[in-house]
Amino acid sequence: MTTMRRRGTYLRHAALVGVSAIMLVPFYWVLKTAVTNENIYAYPPRLLPERPHLFNFVDVWYFIPFPRYLLNSVIVSAIVVACNIAFNAMAGYALTKNFPGKRAVLLLFLSCMLIPFQATIIPAYLITSKLGLLNSYVGLAFPLLSTIVCIFVFKAAFEAVPHSLVDAARIDGLSEWRIIVRVLMPLSKAAIATNVVLAFIWSWNAFLWPLIITREPTMQTLPLGLARFLSYLEDTTGALYAFAVMVLAPSIFVFLMAQREFIRGLTSGATKG
Amino acid sequence: MMPATGEAAGRQDGWWQRKRTRDLALIACFLLPSLTVFFLYRVLPLGWNVLLSVQYWSPLKPARWAGLDHYEEMLLYDDVFWQSLTNTLIFIGAAPFAIALALGIALLVNSDLKGAAVYRSILFLSYPLMTVAVGIIWRWMYDERGGIINFALRESGLITKPIPFLQSFDWALPSVIVAEVWQVLGFYMIIILTGLQSIPQHLYEAASIDGAPRRAQFWRITLPMLKPSLFLCAVVGILNSFTSFDLVYIMTNGGPGHATELLITYIYKSGFGQTKFDYAAALTVVQFILLLALTYLANRAAGGNAGSLEHR
Repeated sequence: MTTMRRRGTYLRHAALVGVSAIMLVPFYWVLKTAVTNENIYAYPPRLLPERPHLFNFVDVWYFIPFPRYLLNSVIVSAIVVACNIAFNAMAGYALTKNFPGKRAVLLLFLSCMLIPFQATIIPAYLITSKLGLLNSYVGLAFPLLSTIVCIFVFKAAFEAVPHSLVDAARIDGLSEWRIIVRVLMPLSKAAIATNVVLAFIWSWNAFLWPLIITREPTMQTLPLGLARFLSYLEDTTGALYAFAVMVLAPSIFVFLMAQREFIRGLTSGATKG
Repeated sequence: MMPATGEAAGRQDGWWQRKRTRDLALIACFLLPSLTVFFLYRVLPLGWNVLLSVQYWSPLKPARWAGLDHYEEMLLYDDVFWQSLTNTLIFIGAAPFAIALALGIALLVNSDLKGAAVYRSILFLSYPLMTVAVGIIWRWMYDERGGIINFALRESGLITKPIPFLQSFDWALPSVIVAEVWQVLGFYMIIILTGLQSIPQHLYEAASIDGAPRRAQFWRITLPMLKPSLFLCAVVGILNSFTSFDLVYIMTNGGPGHATELLITYIYKSGFGQTKFDYAAALTVVQFILLLALTYLANRAAGGNAGSLEHR
């Protein structure tokens, strides 16, 4: 009996190692290409990098406006993350209360969840243009400033805070704003982490929206820069893949830092929201 | 907006001093930023989109009523529309297979296996990546000469001549779908894992006492209890046919010909490539109806109560 169970465990490990290896191949392949300078189109391709070096990364930094793309991406992502936390927490808090019209608001949120942003790009472009926000940071960030899933994540987190605590704070004379900032937010770390990770990933990776509303190269974000680089310089060097590694690193880093809270927060919102 | 004015005005404190009114005003303030965002970028565009689709309109000309002309042109004369609709349906049709795969992996990871957390992180790692970069990586992996996929296939003797995956009419769409599944698989897995962990353990204990074999436990307990999670996965799969714009744009830009054209890439090309905003709006309406219909069907398949997912 025990040997059979042990064999089962080994089989499971074998299967999971196999699947993980397949999932990791693209990571390896892009890293390997990013640190080589040999003719990458030679057949057969080398599985290991020969004389690896980091010059491709230096090239990316200096020979294309990488710092500019980076700055634009950082500014847009910072606006999106900051506003998401503020707006979603406020809306989540409002939804923990009873007020006339609450059902209508909930219904509106839930039906908006079914409208993917990509389905609205044409009027969204026209609206942004009417607001005079084409080619601006605010325009780039605007559609992402609040996220319905995250509102429900905050709502669930706030509802999990014991009522007695909130009541005590109220008796002490704290205003509603203070209650959110001083009492509820510190107790909702998982919700905040979920929000930061999701908002960051969405804004950092966004491509279609910036593609539509930025016309000037100085306002382009990293994904646009990468796509532009692809069409210009594809056949020259491994620099393209160094570029890809450089844009992927931050999202992998953010995700690995926050993954435990992130997964916890996401699941609490998705199943108990 | 709030119905809290009127009769209170005569009270001694004045209506603004009343606690309830102030609470309501505060709630309205709290909701306002989010509601503004969703109104400007969800609700209003949806309505405007429908309006545009029944007009002749371009940025420089005033609007004229078009009735269903755009729809007529699309449905009767536009081969590219039909091709991109078919491709979109194939794209969505691949989702159930990906979800089944994710279910298998989730069952493996869910056990009390040592190192399960490490596997979970590795498998989820592709989800937060920038899709533009993912497209570039996969383009490179599919490459005819330097790509690792052709290399592996040739070395293992499965093929003798390299396949130009992304330039071939037969292979381009499946190739893009594989890349898409690679990116979303970990997300499906996490959704299913949460579902698995919310199944009460005593159900399995009771089944074991009754002598139900493992296989029966899977079909009778695990799968039915997972329905809401699987429905959520299906919705993600359906939505991905919209969000995969980035991947298709980078990997093939809809080509060769229109072999990998999705509705969303076709919408982009009609709207922003040829400035036919009105026609693109009509295409969008069709895709949106498709989305709603498929979500409804998935909900029915999940037992019809999957909407409770959001309310629980």
